[in-house]
Amino acid sequence: MRNLKFDNVTMQFPRAEGGTVEVLRDITMEVEGGSFFTLLGPSGCGKSTLLNIAAGFEKPTQGSASLDAETIDRPGTDRTVIFQDVGNALFPWLNVWENVEFGLKMAKASAALRKERCDKYLELVGLSEDRGKFPFELSGGMKQRVQIARALANDPEILLMDEPFAALDAITKRYLQTEFRKIWKDTGKTILYITHDIFEALLLSTHLAVMSTGPNATIREIFNIDLQEPRLTSNRDFAAMHSTIEGIIDEEVQKSRAS
Amino acid sequence: MNLAKIGRISLSMLLVIGVWWASSGTIFSEMIVPKPWDVMKQFVDMIESKELFVHITASFRRISVGYVLGCTIGLVLGMVMGATRVTRDILTPPIEFFRNIPPVAMVPVVISFFGIGELGKYFLISYATTIVMILNTAAGVSATPRIRVRAAQCLGADQWSIFLRVVLPSAWPYILIGLRIALGFAFTGIVASEMLAAQEGIGFLIMQSTNILEPLDMFVGFVLLGGFGLLTDQTLRAVIGKLARRHMVAIGR
Amino acid sequence: MKYQRLSILALSAAAFIGVWWISTYVYFNPKIVVPPNLVAETLWEITRNGELFEHVWASARRVVVGYVIGAVFGIGLGTIIGLYRIAEELLEPPLQFVRNITPVAIVPLAINLFGLDEGSKYAVIVYSTIIPIIFNTAGGVGGTPQIRIRAAMCLGAGQADIFFRIVVPSAWPFIVTGLRIALGFAFMGVVAAEMIAADEGVGFMIMQSRNMFLPAQMFAGIFLLGMIGVGTDRLIRFALDRLMSRYMMTLNSDVGVT
Repeated sequence: MRNLKFDNVTMQFPRAEGGTVEVLRDITMEVEGGSFFTLLGPSGCGKSTLLNIAAGFEKPTQGSASLDAETIDRPGTDRTVIFQDVGNALFPWLNVWENVEFGLKMAKASAALRKERCDKYLELVGLSEDRGKFPFELSGGMKQRVQIARALANDPEILLMDEPFAALDAITKRYLQTEFRKIWKDTGKTILYITHDIFEALLLSTHLAVMSTGPNATIREIFNIDLQEPRLTSNRDFAAMHSTIEGIIDEEVQKSRAS
Repeated sequence: MNLAKIGRISLSMLLVIGVWWASSGTIFSEMIVPKPWDVMKQFVDMIESKELFVHITASFRRISVGYVLGCTIGLVLGMVMGATRVTRDILTPPIEFFRNIPPVAMVPVVISFFGIGELGKYFLISYATTIVMILNTAAGVSATPRIRVRAAQCLGADQWSIFLRVVLPSAWPYILIGLRIALGFAFTGIVASEMLAAQEGIGFLIMQSTNILEPLDMFVGFVLLGGFGLLTDQTLRAVIGKLARRHMVAIGR
Repeated sequence: MKYQRLSILALSAAAFIGVWWISTYVYFNPKIVVPPNLVAETLWEITRNGELFEHVWASARRVVVGYVIGAVFGIGLGTIIGLYRIAEELLEPPLQFVRNITPVAIVPLAINLFGLDEGSKYAVIVYSTIIPIIFNTAGGVGGTPQIRIRAAMCLGAGQADIFFRIVVPSAWPFIVTGLRIALGFAFMGVVAAEMIAADEGVGFMIMQSRNMFLPAQMFAGIFLLGMIGVGTDRLIRFALDRLMSRYMMTLNSDVGVT
């Protein structure tokens, strides 16, 4: 299992009126292989930018992201992204089965392998019965499950997830969070997960990096989350951790208000 | 519209004019495709002799009258058509039928009926404009999200209020798009009628150029059409942008 | 329920014809606005003596040739503009200018360039169709959601895969819209070209009828045009619905009716 590393990553974007804005400043951190690593921070702090760099969609202005020794400079099948905007991420002209199959087709996998993998992962996300349906016939939660199955079918090393459940209703969200955690445990993949929901972060992660507010965002603190399983909100440690992190986030929000 | 963009557009236009200049006299005879500079000179000459003024005002007058008339009628009829399923079904056959008859085809009928006077031109342009406006307005009205109507009903709005405060605003983006498309058809209508039955106007200018073997006139006409079309379209777009912003609708390209 | 709607449509058509009939005698001069029964008679007459077929075939032939050429080049150019920024910046300004020059105005130029033969008709129709197709194709291709392309990249798609499997299907609804609009413009172009300089075709028939003071035939020609237009539009919609329904699911709202 390789580790995902960020070394002194700085990201600047040109502004429409001229000059640049520095979104990320000097980010150095390491995501251990097999961990569920969450990036938490207020809106607009550049979490998505960091994810895009890890995915290879953007190149950092300075510094680099790498998998062990190998620098990341382009998208690859070892790092698959799960997007929040699932409506546009799924391919609407393909049905569920064909969407899930897509990566395997790109890899020129045999028909037998494609069938095996698609069956397996559709089963895993609970959509075996809906394999013939098209995205427009599916609810938001179902669409997201398709995206997850599609990513997993390609067997990537790392899943990069950009607030995947943020647009779903509370019940579906709870359900998917629980299910996805199980999937993570079963498949043992590395997860880099972005969210602004502290509760969700504590529910899911093994590690939590709290980001400061943007621009010039940095990592404020990294926590090892070793709360006991199953993670329950009623648990005292859970609540304590929630408070701590909440405090940090509030601080950051105040700072951004002040500036 | 920043400097860089203006620069790129200028470069592009210069390239096109360059290609035009190169093709004139070589691939195409100069009698058919005259040199850009000559067209420019003719343009200036016509401004000085006031001839351009005559043609432009004639076309402009006709378009304005026809467009305003057509849009008004089209708006009203379109609202009626889109209001209920029944009215839509009743009005669809005649509208569908006429929409498939290009305004050009109607010119002979119009000439028969109105002669070659101004009334016929007003009619033709109105006709072209009305059809487009009816279609777009009806589409906009019938696309009013039912949920919005229900919300208004819950809040105690009567039929008339619902129409004014829910249906119209919802249909507004469609109407605005219709106005733009209708303008294009109005231009087509004016050119068609002026080419076939007029003594002045941009369409007449173009048609006449073949009769008197003066290709420069034709190209002046093209420049006028393209220029005015662009001008009015961009203006309308800007106005639409201002007006539609409140309704937070992204109107496509 | 469907029968109810069908009967309303039929009644409306009948009412339309009825109003037409009555107004011819009551309000208009029957020599100028011809009553429907005369139009029907004339239509039957020219069908019988083969004239109808001759003219319709001439127009249809021209439209088909011009439309196909215009569609092929239009989609090609539109794709290039949608994919490459340079192409867009170079070609868009002149295209934006030219799109305002209605095909009708181009007819004299086409005649000068290609003579009074078929060439000028094809040229006008190509011009009519290529412009809307370029714009709609460019819009569809350039508007492919970036997120979709990125998702495909994560799944191992190469440049070719991305183009054929992501960009093309995403752009398809827009291309189709362009094709439908272009057909309407093609009809307009062919009629204009035929009215000004031809010796056969529906446009010619209409113009000639006027010149020869045959109002019934003129109305017959116009009626024919309308029916052909409705027919072909329905046909295209049906064909696309059956063949391409998969790809049309990406269409969100078809705003803008021409």
